Amino acid sequence: MTVYITSTGSFFPGPAISIDQVESILGAVHDKPSSLRVQIQKANKIQTRHYAIDENQQTTHSNTEMATNAAEQCLDRAFLNREKVGMLAVASTQGDLPAPGMASMVQAELELPEIEILTTHGICSSSIMALKAAWNSLRLEEHEAALVLSSELASRLLKKQRYEAATTSTFAAKRIDFSTEFLRWMLSDGAGALLLQNKPAPKGLSLRIDWIRGFSHAHALPTCMSVGSAGRPTDSRTWQDYDTYAEAEQDGALLLRQDVRLLDNLMRMGVDGYLRLVEEGVSKPSEVDHFLCHYSSHHFRNKILEMLDTAGVGIPEERWWTNLYSRGNTGAASLFIMLDEFLRTDEVSVNVGDRVLCFVPESGRFNTTYLQLTVVEK
Amino acid sequence: MSDGEISIEGGESSSVQENVPEGVVLNPHAQVCLQQLLRVWLGFERDLSKVPLLRRIDLGTFTVEDHQVFLRNIRQQVIEGSRWIARTASSFDRNHSEIRSTIISHAVDEHRDYQMLEKDYVASGGRLEDILNMERNVGSEALHGFLMHRSSLPNPIDLLGAMWIIEGLGEKMAHSWAERIQELTGLSEESTRFMTYHGHNDSEHMQRFYATLDRVCNNEESITSIVKTAKVVARLYRLQLEEIEYDIQ
Repeated sequence: MTVYITSTGSFFPGPAISIDQVESILGAVHDKPSSLRVQIQKANKIQTRHYAIDENQQTTHSNTEMATNAAEQCLDRAFLNREKVGMLAVASTQGDLPAPGMASMVQAELELPEIEILTTHGICSSSIMALKAAWNSLRLEEHEAALVLSSELASRLLKKQRYEAATTSTFAAKRIDFSTEFLRWMLSDGAGALLLQNKPAPKGLSLRIDWIRGFSHAHALPTCMSVGSAGRPTDSRTWQDYDTYAEAEQDGALLLRQDVRLLDNLMRMGVDGYLRLVEEGVSKPSEVDHFLCHYSSHHFRNKILEMLDTAGVGIPEERWWTNLYSRGNTGAASLFIMLDEFLRTDEVSVNVGDRVLCFVPESGRFNTTYLQLTVVEK
Repeated sequence: MSDGEISIEGGESSSVQENVPEGVVLNPHAQVCLQQLLRVWLGFERDLSKVPLLRRIDLGTFTVEDHQVFLRNIRQQVIEGSRWIARTASSFDRNHSEIRSTIISHAVDEHRDYQMLEKDYVASGGRLEDILNMERNVGSEALHGFLMHRSSLPNPIDLLGAMWIIEGLGEKMAHSWAERIQELTGLSEESTRFMTYHGHNDSEHMQRFYATLDRVCNNEESITSIVKTAKVVARLYRLQLEEIEYDIQ
């Protein structure tokens, strides 16, 4: 059974926030402006982003609400009665509740009766896990249509109060703690939705799913992005091992961490997986018309791109497209948000028959995921 | 941030000498070979993260003692390195004289590297006689045996795969390890000269490598042999680092 993405949707909370406004939303820790913000923002080149918290760090939209809003837009644009949706798959790094799964909460909001649900847990690649499961479910002909959502509300982890409460953490002890501050200036909030069906939409463009693959390297590499430990090499406790959650927070075990030293492994493993797909004949670089990458080209050192060119498998920069700079890095939701805008933007010409290669790497413990779509019209 | 650059990609500032062709366009076989070599390298590099001694660099628990152990264990391979490279050069016949010249100049560049390594050892607080007395560890024996065997065969073009791995590692040491080791151990640059030295002229080395690859890799068989040797060397090099002798002999 061939499966198509027949509709998409997205949702962004609040107005677009410029580089200079970011710290006024997340808050200056102990009222002192960050010494790392400008440097990190310059490196990631994100110009605007959205937050589901206000300037007093109060939540304006729940993660469930954002996912629901993206789903509503996606369903409103679809040529399909809602009761035909047989499956709801929802991905997020952290739902509003640790339990139950976020799909339950979103299903309730959407009032979709008696459907099959799936919540995937992870970071950026969790959306691809959800997409693959839904795709397979349709391929097995268990459902005619599935709704796949991904939503991220990172700002609740990044607001100043989190850092101020971490009084005995590495962040408090060091003058500069790159590992706890790096993601503060990277991540923001938003949600994306895809509708999968067993036939293309009767009007307009659909995206046929050609293949979805993933390669995880957790067996070899240390944890790179995480929440739940204090980030000290000799301390193996995780947040639930502390006597109280308050102690875990004080110790910085609830701060979002990125070991930036390990980050280049992600690009290397990304290139390795890509070369593997080329070797297997799954991906043919010369046939790729559009490359949608969760990371932008400047995150890859130019030299490895040059090396791929020398090896005859580079993808020319003019085929790369992203909305990272205007929509921000919304983690798991990024690719869905990108696909939604890709089908509507004037920046790029999307034609029937075009092949779209997508790449979503997850730094958590180095999971790299890839998918290929073909633009079709009924 | 300079840490963790993709080590096989080469540095930014080195100048390409006149006799080195710039922007080599590889033939289709050489392109496929480079794709596969990249995968062998990336897998090798990833799996090095599992080697206990090296994992401590990633985890931030690497010590001065670890640095000394590392230097003591790779010195023998560095000494033997110039031997197999020299033998490789002599195994090429007159139809491969250009490659022979390239390899001879490479052997000249590196045949006294081990002395730099010994100085690093002393600068990091080790006793010269301790490093001089070290024998090859189990992995070094296997690596050395394989390389001497292959380099004794006629026209051993497959050893391009060995150079790919060993040169790649040299550049990884220079770009990813040296500075981090200094940071973790408090050792000075004097103790990591052997590592940093290998970061010089990276892009020149790469262009030279591409040119040689383009010349010798013209059919399926040459791809297979180059990639196979790269895989064997990657595995045996990792074995050398897994079979670390911690004690002074």
